Amino acid sequence: MATDNANADGFGEVSRVRGIAFEYLSLGASVFGLVALGVLLVYVAIDAFDLSNASPEWLLTYFVTLVVPFLAFCLYSADDPAVTRRALGALGGGLVAVAVVFTAIESLLVPIPRLNWQLAYLFVVAAPVAAYLTYVGSNGRPGAVGFGLLGRLVGGAALGLAVGTLFLVFDSLVWFLAYTLGVLPAVGLYAYGRVREASRARTAALPVGFLGLVAAVVLRDVIPTYPSDLLIYLWTIAVPIAVAGGLVVADRRGRTVAAVAAGLPLAVATAGGFWATGAGLPAPTVLLVLVTTGVPTAVYVSRVVDVGEGVVGLALPFLIAGGVVVGALVVEAWGVPAPDPWLDAGFVTEAPSRTPANAGLYPAIVGSVIIIALVAVLSFLLGVGTSVFLEEYTPGTGPIGTLTRILQVNIANLAAVPSVVYGLLGLGLFANLLGLGIGTAVTAALTLSLLILPITIISAQEAIRSVPDDLRRGSDAMGATRWQTTKNVVLPEAMPGILTGTILALGRAIGETAPLIMIGAATTVFNPPSSLFSRFSAMPMQIYTWAGFPQADFRYGVVAAGVITLLIILVGMNGTAILLRNRAERGS
Amino acid sequence: MSNTTSDDSLITTEVQADSNDDRAPVNEAGTAVAARDLNVYYGDEQAINDVTMEIPEKRVTALIGPSGCGKSTFLRTINRMNDMIDICRVEGDVEFGGKNVYDADVDPVALRRKIGMVFQKPNPFPKSIRDNVAYGLKIQGFDGDVDARVEESLKGAALWDEVKDQLHSSGLELSGGQQQRLCIARAIAPDPEVILMDEPTSALDPVAASKIEDLIDDLAEEYTVIIVTHNMQQAARISDRTAVFLTGGELVEYDDTAKIFEDPEQQRVEDYITGKFG
Ligand SMILES: Nc1ncnc2c1ncn2[C@@H]1O[C@H](COP(=O)(O)OP(=O)(O)OP(=O)(O)O)[C@@H](O)[C@H]1O
Ligand SMILES: [Mg+2]
Repeated sequence: MATDNANADGFGEVSRVRGIAFEYLSLGASVFGLVALGVLLVYVAIDAFDLSNASPEWLLTYFVTLVVPFLAFCLYSADDPAVTRRALGALGGGLVAVAVVFTAIESLLVPIPRLNWQLAYLFVVAAPVAAYLTYVGSNGRPGAVGFGLLGRLVGGAALGLAVGTLFLVFDSLVWFLAYTLGVLPAVGLYAYGRVREASRARTAALPVGFLGLVAAVVLRDVIPTYPSDLLIYLWTIAVPIAVAGGLVVADRRGRTVAAVAAGLPLAVATAGGFWATGAGLPAPTVLLVLVTTGVPTAVYVSRVVDVGEGVVGLALPFLIAGGVVVGALVVEAWGVPAPDPWLDAGFVTEAPSRTPANAGLYPAIVGSVIIIALVAVLSFLLGVGTSVFLEEYTPGTGPIGTLTRILQVNIANLAAVPSVVYGLLGLGLFANLLGLGIGTAVTAALTLSLLILPITIISAQEAIRSVPDDLRRGSDAMGATRWQTTKNVVLPEAMPGILTGTILALGRAIGETAPLIMIGAATTVFNPPSSLFSRFSAMPMQIYTWAGFPQADFRYGVVAAGVITLLIILVGMNGTAILLRNRAERGS
Repeated sequence: MSNTTSDDSLITTEVQADSNDDRAPVNEAGTAVAARDLNVYYGDEQAINDVTMEIPEKRVTALIGPSGCGKSTFLRTINRMNDMIDICRVEGDVEFGGKNVYDADVDPVALRRKIGMVFQKPNPFPKSIRDNVAYGLKIQGFDGDVDARVEESLKGAALWDEVKDQLHSSGLELSGGQQQRLCIARAIAPDPEVILMDEPTSALDPVAASKIEDLIDDLAEEYTVIIVTHNMQQAARISDRTAVFLTGGELVEYDDTAKIFEDPEQQRVEDYITGKFG
């Protein structure tokens, strides 16, 4: 009987009020946070690029020459009428809505500082629509090709700049000898062993390489004359990259095409290098940038042409470059007022200055890049090493187990220690006790590595722990040693997680200021560091210093430009790391 | 019905000792593994109680018994996988190739290279099919033709025809039964002497299970196979010798499979096999 009753009234209702309230509260909180951050970034961007002085005509020109062609390209690639309709609707409807709302707020409530409705339209409607269309367009074949090419150009340029920057502090003569005597013979032997199935050659590769490195260090001061830096980088970096690119192409297309695809960019890069020597630019960096963009581009283009699909996409970089050039010409001819951005080529290539207009961030960028590269290597190696030791090697019981647990608790606590304290530690330990020098790049790198080490260790441990035990037992039962199991099974499985943790931690390290102040990093330097032991400044330090200057132009314009540069470098770095990680994940 | 199913047979299975006809009688085989006065403890709890048994070479030996009676534990004492469990303590001898594997001078890693193991749940590595099979060869520094050995092992595990066109795709993309055969291929690739299998078919459907049973029968031509199973028919079909463990880690009866299933000495064993308890 009871069941009959229940069925007659349905099954009754279960209250979901709390769940729904929670859902909307969380949504509200995250939206609020994002909007607040977004508004801040918009104002920083307006300051950095001096957009408040951009005339509507200027905005309109670039909208027509740059934004519209780009959006059209994305729509063409997406090739979906529904998307086209939606995008046009959003752009048109957004125009009316933003203009009306903006004017209403201005006239009825409060004037909105340093914004006009055109700019508001740019940030609120055009930018999100462009982002959405970029995403949709990159799924179409031409879009995928276009963005692939663009990515290689931008990524290659960034890589070339980063490597060029790192080599500023590196002894290129040792590198030249080490490459010629060690790396090259070792790689050659190994490749020969692979091709000819000669295991003896493969085993010999490592000792030969090692001997070469030792010889390089010994001979460094014995050999009297060396080729120029440009030739060294040509021989040790540009040629190997071109050869690698050529091999990739040769696999598919045969030797002739490969020779062209590798030789052409190499020739251009070499010519560029020699031209730069004459023009007073840093020749090695120009060479590296040209090679790291040219070779991947050539390989990519040859593959796209090979596949024969989406070849139109290759026009995307020209579309964008053309848009910029045409826009500039129109603005020039029209004579409309244009903004004078703080963040321009001079800002990132020149040293700091007394006047805001000449202020540059170059030495600080170099300092930051060098430190971050060191921190990435150090904290990754130390973090992975420690976490492997803690997770795979220590027993859970006995005195060592107890010790491990104590260590574990301490590592967790270290993650909560304020960064100033790490600065003190770095000052005492690295700068004074180990004598690495106050305010030097090594001291800073070691201190920051220590600072993020707990985070890398804990996240790496978490990743290692999430590898199923089944896999370990499977490997152990095959007769693998602990090390073989760790190396072949555990680490490859845990690597994406480990990298995620390291990437997040690096993001924190690049923006740290307090520990740098404590170890005595310079607030302003006028030359990039020339060795690991020279004085340096880092981007956050320099920005912090500018923020304290009396002139308003420093505090608004220059600081904003610095912040944007810092963010771009951070996002670029993280983006690359995430791309590489995803690649690795898919590869395994 | 098969010739061997007599009225007093305890379980009705069509094959019984049938599949083992092609092998010589067990008493002609040498001993591959022998346990002597073996006791295993987890902390204070005893999991194996004074077991002594000799396992014949190149035969299939089945271990059966109710859950928790120590079958897996016994299996793990043979390749010293119990060393991985901190609280596990082993007393007595396990001889393999005439040597006590618990002697101080035995390297458990070297030992495991001679003994393959297949687990209850298929556990292929998240690598390509080829790399899965080649894993043992890689870690042992095998110098010969890896691809030939991979092919041979996959054929030995009756998987070659199904995967020969996708050797470079991930082992995780296979079905459960294929994964288990991949694990068997992985275990036999380095050419071990003994293969331990802990309920290798319990996660599989009957068709996949019967493929693996056929495979085990073939494997016994070259390897000593020791298999734990909860499936009486399976034990009866594929094994030459059967060991019955009962709760407390006692080996209560160990004899030719036909004898155990047709005419066991002990009432407890008969009750267990016929499903009266356990
Ligand atoms: N890692 C371990 N730690 C502590 N006790 C264990 C461990 N593994 C097994 N045991 C105990 O040892 C006894 C035997 O376990 P074992 O796994 O060998 O049984 P089994 O016969 O394989 O059972 P099943 O058929 O369910 O797999 C059980 O009482 C179990 O609780
Ligand atoms: Mg078991």
